Amino acid sequence: MNPAKSYAHLFSPLGGDAGDNYRAPNVLTFLRSSYVALNADALKESGARYAFLGVPFDEGNIGKPGSEEGAREFRLASQEYFSYWFEYNIDLYGASVDCGDVSMPKVNPEIARERIYRAVREVLKAGLVPILVGGDRSLSIAATKALSDHIGLKKKMGYLHFGAHLDLADSWAGEKNLAPCALARITELPNLAAENVSHIGARNSMNPKDWIDLARERKIHFNPMRQMLKDGVHETAQGAIDRVWDNTDAQYVSFNFNVMDASAAPGVTSTEPGGLESREMMRIAEMIGQKKSITVIDVSELCPVFDVSGTAARLAVCVVTRVMAALAKARGEEIDASIRRSDLMAG
Amino acid sequence: MKAKQDHVWTFVPHQHQGVAEQRGEDDHIHSPKLHNGAFKSRGLATFMGAPYCPPDRDAIRQMGAKVCFLACPWDQGQIVRAGTSQGASGLREATTQYFPYMFEYDVDILTFFKVVDCGDIPNIPGNNAKSHDLIDQYVTECLEGGAKVIMCGGDHSLPIPGTRALSRHTKSGNIGYLHVDAHLDAGPDWAGNKITNCSGPARAIELPNCSARNMAHMGSRNSLNPKDWWDFYVDNDIRVIAMSEVVERGIESCAEDIFNIVWKGTDAVYFSWDTDSIDISCMPGSTSPECYGLKGREAIELARVAGIYGCDVLEVVELAPYFDVSFMSIKMAANMIYHYLGSRARTLIDQGKTA
Repeated sequence: MNPAKSYAHLFSPLGGDAGDNYRAPNVLTFLRSSYVALNADALKESGARYAFLGVPFDEGNIGKPGSEEGAREFRLASQEYFSYWFEYNIDLYGASVDCGDVSMPKVNPEIARERIYRAVREVLKAGLVPILVGGDRSLSIAATKALSDHIGLKKKMGYLHFGAHLDLADSWAGEKNLAPCALARITELPNLAAENVSHIGARNSMNPKDWIDLARERKIHFNPMRQMLKDGVHETAQGAIDRVWDNTDAQYVSFNFNVMDASAAPGVTSTEPGGLESREMMRIAEMIGQKKSITVIDVSELCPVFDVSGTAARLAVCVVTRVMAALAKARGEEIDASIRRSDLMAG
Repeated sequence: MKAKQDHVWTFVPHQHQGVAEQRGEDDHIHSPKLHNGAFKSRGLATFMGAPYCPPDRDAIRQMGAKVCFLACPWDQGQIVRAGTSQGASGLREATTQYFPYMFEYDVDILTFFKVVDCGDIPNIPGNNAKSHDLIDQYVTECLEGGAKVIMCGGDHSLPIPGTRALSRHTKSGNIGYLHVDAHLDAGPDWAGNKITNCSGPARAIELPNCSARNMAHMGSRNSLNPKDWWDFYVDNDIRVIAMSEVVERGIESCAEDIFNIVWKGTDAVYFSWDTDSIDISCMPGSTSPECYGLKGREAIELARVAGIYGCDVLEVVELAPYFDVSFMSIKMAANMIYHYLGSRARTLIDQGKTA
């Protein structure tokens, strides 16, 4: 991922004419990664593991609008961080590329979903892990379908869903592909068995009865927040994660950060009290990374207009990049700890 | 900075001196009697409603002040978003909503320490080095006046002049340096600049009487921590208690560990406490806030433990009210200091000592 073996990015800016301040990032991309066109050959060529895709689409939302701005804010928040992780001795430099935003037609959700689907297929074809940042939760419907079709019927996928809501509406006002229908559509995929689906964080009463009924009917395993607090957050989360990785060939992890307590992520479309704390989520992100493999990551429902001091956007960035760092660590990709700033090396 | 008059420490806020006069030496720790007194009627807003004292060693001595508050509206020593120049004003505002009496410690911290507010340290826009010299000078006056210092920033370049002053003041002995922060802040420099908010510990270790064995860091997390910052602690063998360890072991024993390190064989301690050590949900009003931090209750516990050990300079930095919500950050900052002082006073009283 760093064939040139250049390490300046690990350190504070060195200054001089070529030195940049990290507050002047020039082009806005995820983690300052390079822009690479959405093309399987170009992506393969890049040598990256992850491909970032912005999905500014919120026409699947039934509540507060605003998630259209999510990807932009996520990129902005990612600029506050370095590629180096002292907690893991991992360097994420070159680990990802940014493919820009999936272009959205506006007022034509069918075409929008088709474009999301094709974008994900293209990245998967190149062998990279798409990181989709929405946008509303309905993007997961198109993206999981892309993964399902990509691996084919002979292989199995797992699906991990974070959120305060079950999103199990078979239809909502007659519509079948809205955000609250996400898990209902996803659990209809032919190569996703109910035993490989986990839901984390359900609570409160934006979970109508038909959602619960459908969960029972389809034997969907969900871990309500109250249950997690009673049985231990980390233990329950580990069980939920294990199901998704158990005998599956591909894993899809979908975050709606309303899984967090409203205080830890005010900038989401539908905040809920009684959710996870950031330290619990950090541990969970690490557990996911420790599985050593991941096929698709999505983040939806970030809503910067309600955010406070960048709280939700920064949390989202920290969760996704921590998954990436912990995964690299689990794969034994630690960097040489003896590397030091070149200007500080004794001659 | 010569004192022009005799100063005797008295606590009479101007609201108590006007036409609706209300006097009584215990008024500040009781509910108001005739009118709302100094509660939320900030008047000339000082820290804790404390009397003003010129930042002059003789004046401080004459007033018998044992704690001097210094505000430092300096935010051009930092590499992140601006806004900390308003931090101390926000803190003073927050203190108008509290009483100096703390029931948890059963003590009136205002009169126990004869707290004074020495005003704002002036600065020179665009000139970090000269602004630091002024900070050094003001801290020196307070220390030479026989007081401990509570300093509110301002950005996290403050410990650079602050430790310089404490080091000089403690010429016959050693000092300890404690840095509690989400970020390791130990850059040898940032783009060639050696005195930014990324280099507090890196400059402290260069002081003649501050050694690595008396330095400690707590609260670090996430990836705004480039490798040279981490290397500093590895190469100098300085104890770092990362946030993951705080979560695992609990704040109390971690806090005791770091204070034992900084006080081992030293005569003075500089405690540099960045507001971003606290979780962004409890401290949005900080310049570089981070998730996965201390909760409000843990920050108060840290302040309590700090009060048991004490320090010579307590510096609270990177407070940025622009980004605050519902005053939660400025009130948190006020409580970091109040609980420290409350616990400190209780500890001294229990040991039969005075401030």
